[in-house]
Amino acid sequence: MFGTFRGAAVQLSELLALPVCDAAGRQVGTVVDVRLVIDGDLDDRPDEPTLFGLIISPHTQSSYLGYERSDARRPALLAALLRWRHRGTFLTLWHDIARVSTDSVVLRQGFERYSPVLRDDDNRSPGEHRNPS
Amino acid sequence: MTSSRNNFPDAPRPQGRLVDARLHLLDRQLFDADEAPVGIVDDLDIDIPTKFDIAVSAPAPPVTGILTGQVLATRIFGGRPPRSKLQAIPWRLITKIGTVVQLSSDAEDLESLWIEHWLRDHLVRHIPGGRRAAQ
Repeated sequence: MFGTFRGAAVQLSELLALPVCDAAGRQVGTVVDVRLVIDGDLDDRPDEPTLFGLIISPHTQSSYLGYERSDARRPALLAALLRWRHRGTFLTLWHDIARVSTDSVVLRQGFERYSPVLRDDDNRSPGEHRNPS
Repeated sequence: MTSSRNNFPDAPRPQGRLVDARLHLLDRQLFDADEAPVGIVDDLDIDIPTKFDIAVSAPAPPVTGILTGQVLATRIFGGRPPRSKLQAIPWRLITKIGTVVQLSSDAEDLESLWIEHWLRDHLVRHIPGGRRAAQ
């Protein structure tokens, strides 16, 4: 049985730190962030974002300032430490999510793991926008 | 130290800009149409079904709005504020996403913002320098 969407809102804070299991019930990690795709101009009434995928870490529940996902390299020691802590972190896409409940996320059999790195050419990060004048 | 490099392939690129909700939206300051700070992004509403299996062909769920409200206690002591302490702001009222999230003039009537407006109009503006929006 499949659900309809409108009116079944989940809060982002309910998703973060949820354990993620594969189809066999083995835990593969924890939700550490939610990747969204936004169409339209971010400066002029951007379209409603849609969920692109989940960032899942097998070792930690924390986000650590984006080091695990960007090409940030400085300070080198901190970057290395955080990348090590987030080793194995991956992005899985919406179509590989089989079920979301209040206590876990279940992925489909044969789900794909993608690089969680958010590359510079993927977008103009909101954090890099000019300040409003 | 073990190598931390992941060797996963890049995901197919969708049309539009990719942002990470926790990294790029949470805790961003909310500005009203006059660029006065009126709160922060405390949470997001995402329209994901939780009582059913999700069809492979199901369209990606939208973020329907942002939530702002009284979260000081939970930020200090942990946990999540009850939903009743949060005000949902529909996404259609967002005009700009950057280092801050800007709302349209239609958001002036939102319940969550009245105390901010009252304080601004009756208290802050009487403090020397209080008539200017925060930079």
